[in-house]
Amino acid sequence: MAEHTIKSPLPGIFYRRPSPDAEPFVKEGDTIAPGTVIGLVGVMKTFHQITSDVGGKVVRFLVENEEAIRPGQPIAVVSDEA
Amino acid sequence: MLEVRNGGFETTVQDYPGRIGMLSLGFAPAGPMDDYAFRFANVLVGNPPGAAGLEITAGGLVVAFHDERAIAICGADMGARLNGQPIELWRSYLVRAGDVLEFDYLQGAGFRTYLAVSGGIDVPPVLGSRATYLPGAIGGLEGRKLREGDRLPLGEPTTDPAQAAGRRVPASLVPAYPGYNEVWEVEATRGPQADPDYMTAEDMAFFFSHQWKLDAASNRTGYRLDIHKWQWARTSGGAGGGHPSNILDNGYPVGAVNVCGDQPIILCIDGPTLGGFICNAVVAKAAMWKLGQMVPGWSYIRFKEVTLDEAIALVKKQDETIHESNLERS
Repeated sequence: MAEHTIKSPLPGIFYRRPSPDAEPFVKEGDTIAPGTVIGLVGVMKTFHQITSDVGGKVVRFLVENEEAIRPGQPIAVVSDEA
Repeated sequence: MLEVRNGGFETTVQDYPGRIGMLSLGFAPAGPMDDYAFRFANVLVGNPPGAAGLEITAGGLVVAFHDERAIAICGADMGARLNGQPIELWRSYLVRAGDVLEFDYLQGAGFRTYLAVSGGIDVPPVLGSRATYLPGAIGGLEGRKLREGDRLPLGEPTTDPAQAAGRRVPASLVPAYPGYNEVWEVEATRGPQADPDYMTAEDMAFFFSHQWKLDAASNRTGYRLDIHKWQWARTSGGAGGGHPSNILDNGYPVGAVNVCGDQPIILCIDGPTLGGFICNAVVAKAAMWKLGQMVPGWSYIRFKEVTLDEAIALVKKQDETIHESNLERS
């Protein structure tokens, strides 16, 4: 089993949900495929999707919903455990 | 021709000073947010300082060259690599057909970087400028940001690219950008609606001493600052509206600090040209470049009051600084 860290290429505000009333894109423990959207970064009044470059299990999020993040900041850990 | 293999987050064609002289017709000037870095990049490659180049916001651009050109990148560090090898900012290089230039994401302070190519980007001028005005969808390439597959025409270089390459901006003229959670000092004049008629002296003293946080929802149109409960010199805007920040509609200067109710917003180069809120200060023209390197959601601003004469002197000094005679051979 290997753990992969998903980073944000952008600074901005991190959102775990597509809209304030919606369910989170993914939850800890979910199994996801490569390319799955795990959150959004809002900056300059636009939103950029953060996707997982690997498939596996979402182990944990490293930032809170609506937290300000820096470029390159680790967002979540995904394990490639089957 | 310049081939775009990845447009990155927001890359646009810009020229300087943009589409000026058209505020009365409702056109913002557009152009580069950081005109200091933009103009120096052009000077490095032997172009006129205002020639059309690329504004790269937050990174991600990949381009391929199809002929021999001088290039320079000035502004924020995005880990640029030419054919996989890191290249320096504020320095000119010679590129050849087949060379590939890639930008990663932001590697430190700053937010935008500028790519100048000898000969300039030769998209058709619209209303006298090649600058992309995104809200109006005009200028640049089809009025939009660049994307994979775009092919940008290039002009004829006026300087031999091999001669223009191998020069650098001396370290003393390369700005050190304040980092995350750090404060930018921004020169500004008192605006057309300040104290004592619209705000109190205490309001203006607060304005010029507070460290204003730049909101993440800030872009080329407006830079949003903290909410503040102003004292106000008036109880209402009278015929202009019910709130004391209201006035009858009037033209806005580029760089105006526009106070909409409790919130000051700096009107940037894609900003609105008129409206009915007061402008208590105006960012000095020679300080506008600083806005381009602030990071939305992270940077702080403290305004330093300057007189109109001081603001004009800053422009003259800046224009003299951005000059070929100041470059070094590297």
